[in-house]
Amino acid sequence: MIKCNTSKEIGGMGHSKKRKEDARFIQGKGNYVDDIKLPGMLYMDIVRSPYAYAKIKNIDASKALEIPGVVAVVTGKDLEKYNLHWMPTLMSDTQMVLPTDTVMYQAQEVAAVIATDRYTARDGKEAVMVDYEPMKPVMDPFKAMLPDAPVLRSDKEGKTDNHIWHWEVGDKEKTEEVFNNADITVKQQMHIPRIHVASIETCGCVASYNKVENHLTMYMTTQAPHAIRTVIALVAGHVGLTEEKVRVISPDIGGGFGGKVPVYPGYVIAIAVSFLTGAPIKWIEDRSENLQADSFARDYHITAEMAGTKDGKIQATRFKVLADHGYTDASANPSKFPTGLFSIGTGSYDYGTAYMEADAVYTNKPPGGVAYRCSFRVTEAVHAIERMTDMFAKEVGKDPAQLRMENFIKKEDFPWASPTGWSYDSGDYHAGLKKAMDAVGYHELRKEQLALRAEGKLMGIGISTFTEVVGAGPSKDFDILGIKMFDSAEIRVHPTGKAIARFGTKSQGQGHETTYAQIVAEELGIPMEHIQIEEGDTDTAPYGLGTYASRSTPTAGAAAAMAARKLRAKAKKIAAYLLEVSEQDLEWEPGKFFVKGAPEKAKTIQEIVFAAYTNHPQGMEAGFEATHYYDPPNLTFPSGAYICVVEIDPETCDIKVRRFVAIDDCGNIINPMIVQGQVHGGLTQGIAPAMYEELIYDEAGNILNGTFMDYLVPTAVESPNWETGHTITPSPHHPIGAKGVGESPTVGAPPAIVNAIVDAVAHLGVEHLEIPVTPFKLYKKLKSVGYFDDKA
Amino acid sequence: MNTLIEKEFDIEQPIGLVWKSLADPEDVVTCVPGAAITEKIDDKNYKGEVVTKFGPIKAKYSGDIEIVELNEGEHKMVLKGRGLDSKGKGSADMLMNGTLEEKDGKTQVKFTMDITIVGMLAQFGSRLINDVSDQLLNQFVDNFKNKLSASAPAEESVPDEAAETVAASAGGTAALTSTEKRTEPKTPAPQEDNALNATSLIGTVIKSIFGGIVDFFKSLFGGKKS
Repeated sequence: MIKCNTSKEIGGMGHSKKRKEDARFIQGKGNYVDDIKLPGMLYMDIVRSPYAYAKIKNIDASKALEIPGVVAVVTGKDLEKYNLHWMPTLMSDTQMVLPTDTVMYQAQEVAAVIATDRYTARDGKEAVMVDYEPMKPVMDPFKAMLPDAPVLRSDKEGKTDNHIWHWEVGDKEKTEEVFNNADITVKQQMHIPRIHVASIETCGCVASYNKVENHLTMYMTTQAPHAIRTVIALVAGHVGLTEEKVRVISPDIGGGFGGKVPVYPGYVIAIAVSFLTGAPIKWIEDRSENLQADSFARDYHITAEMAGTKDGKIQATRFKVLADHGYTDASANPSKFPTGLFSIGTGSYDYGTAYMEADAVYTNKPPGGVAYRCSFRVTEAVHAIERMTDMFAKEVGKDPAQLRMENFIKKEDFPWASPTGWSYDSGDYHAGLKKAMDAVGYHELRKEQLALRAEGKLMGIGISTFTEVVGAGPSKDFDILGIKMFDSAEIRVHPTGKAIARFGTKSQGQGHETTYAQIVAEELGIPMEHIQIEEGDTDTAPYGLGTYASRSTPTAGAAAAMAARKLRAKAKKIAAYLLEVSEQDLEWEPGKFFVKGAPEKAKTIQEIVFAAYTNHPQGMEAGFEATHYYDPPNLTFPSGAYICVVEIDPETCDIKVRRFVAIDDCGNIINPMIVQGQVHGGLTQGIAPAMYEELIYDEAGNILNGTFMDYLVPTAVESPNWETGHTITPSPHHPIGAKGVGESPTVGAPPAIVNAIVDAVAHLGVEHLEIPVTPFKLYKKLKSVGYFDDKA
Repeated sequence: MNTLIEKEFDIEQPIGLVWKSLADPEDVVTCVPGAAITEKIDDKNYKGEVVTKFGPIKAKYSGDIEIVELNEGEHKMVLKGRGLDSKGKGSADMLMNGTLEEKDGKTQVKFTMDITIVGMLAQFGSRLINDVSDQLLNQFVDNFKNKLSASAPAEESVPDEAAETVAASAGGTAALTSTEKRTEPKTPAPQEDNALNATSLIGTVIKSIFGGIVDFFKSLFGGKKS
């Protein structure tokens, strides 16, 4: 049960308050970038490359410029005059804004057409004639690593191969020793395929440069408006756009999932064109552009190994990764973490030895990869560890639930030092799995499975017990382009006791306007309905690194609590003054201070705030405002125990999820209904890569499923009835004991589903299946083990 | 994307006549929907173009056709083609192997086409490309048969120029090129009518998909397949 400290009227933590923002969303009154219309605004469309790798011999814009309404056609050569044809990526790699001579992936930006309306811009784009000389692309990351592979980044002086970086963590020698002496080792090569966030709103912007004021207002689909402002100032400072002259506004965002963290060339072109013409420039991607050109996620080729004793004790793991980054490393990771937080991949299990290494490689694919609803590569890591745990259980002949129970880190062993250097803050993995097993009826299901197998029916049960690492992050380790990953909150309480609070984060549908208000309500006792939340305007909000990687509650949520506590300390002083007692004599209950032993002698928070403006004590600053920049001492480590039950049609290989039980532990819960909503969405985005989604490229460099006709995003039809629940293990270092939750289900669901599918066909000789497990892939696998004997 | 098309058909005409027509790019091109030879560079190299409509996408490819092998003795030919989309939206490469065999006075034509498509058509049309190619080839076979059956009885009275062309091409190495030939291709540039009709194509595809579904349901209820 979730305990609430505040009344329903105050609506602090634990209350299932309806989302304040939904009033405008469900009435179609949201204000997205594409809703913004400015006087004299021009529209931009982008000519994109049909080739994955080609020289540009000529760009002929003459026919496009003949079309009435086409104002300009901008090429890389035009931007080169202002040194704006290249830009840095968040990982300090380089990326073309527009090419001057070579295109490096299909759908790459080649030229921009500016016109008086959207349709004319599209007509102009069709009329731009580009003369290419195609070259043979390098699409396979393994081939890209071969010594005779063509060097793709020949723009980089001295580059002689396609290797980007090498990374490793853990104890290589010790791991090798454990593997050499282990009773049992299991090994599996797996691919976590390239997928796309596919947010409902595509990316876009309105860049509005005011020549007279030398001021740029950038309305933009970004999850990190403050960081973007700094990046713009760093990149365009040399043409006069210094940071105080740049205002970034991120209005309502229709889903981000990490895809709206990077800076895409389209944004930069729009800024450049607005800067040169003085007219506001709107650029909005269409669906296929978004899917084909914007940052992908995942694309890790992992060789995973686990070693252990014959009675089922895990002793060590070893992961080796080849990361296909496409044309440039445009990941959105903290600077010191080229593989993100992949090193969480030792999972929820108590063993002391691990070694992980990764190499990144350039290919002729679009750049990336973003942390798609995932705290920087955690999804890849969790998939590997949870698949290996199942394979190990099978090898030693133990039930996968039993083996997990025997290997879990015990709740009394927290904080727990992982072999890859993390300090897990808290967790109770046994309780989570037990709750999930009880909810699903695990032991009965196992009996049923045996009975069904005897009838020739295929049913499988899959478990995933994952540990997440979210809330980047402590400033000693975490920065993006040097800016530390703290986050901020500013609370202003007005004389009548109503408040506005502003944050450095940016909601994209997570419900910040509600949860942040509940945190402030919890701490100050002001009803959450009367706390207005604002984010996304760099001119008004305090600086912060934005919303992704489930970091908002761990960082900005903590900042909200800390700022509110500063105000409560001030409120106590004012109350003591008003009640003419000493501060030590006062006690707090949500919404008021009262004198110990005399509860009728009390001042409500509203009375106290009013006094701060009308009757504040001598020597005290007037007003009732506070700001806090929260630098987390550690990350938070949410966990989950998921159990999936699948049924497979033995003739068509159609896979049906019969049950899915998700028990999450995200520490103290702020709004149970929002958490449940987040889990539902995340699970659906977890079933996506497990069963449906993958960006497929052919050898010639074509993307073969660059539209929603072919790229299969699960809808309500594909979503089973999610059965959710929770255990609560508060984070000991977080001010309100909360962790993050948004990405847990996306991270935890895929291995549960795949483990269930493999479990359903394990008795037929299947040991592993690559995601997405489609009916056709399953059919081929079952055929390879002799289950089907048809000739097809 | 890469696709391999294999096709086999019979023509009730003598092998010599079929070979003569098939071996002359300028002659055979009149049977290919949407295609035209725009320039003859020499006996082995031609320039041509193909217009196809593919749903909302209309693609016009211009490129080069090279006769890699033309073996009249074995009735075997190898053609290589490379076309670039005229709007810079992609390219297509093709390698064709064709053989003719005599069968009771008729001719059996067999060929394979290995096609690589890059760009918009590959992105948007990959699932339909085989159906569409099949439709194209069927149109070609019909056109070719009609052409031969129309020309066969009147073989003696074909206009001089055409006869000359057929004879010259059949020789394979005969030097026939003249400046007139280079500047005045006898095949007209492709017309809209000649271009592949999107509606009929998509219609065919839809019919084939739904036809299958209808058959499935009919079979369920013991009905006859359509």
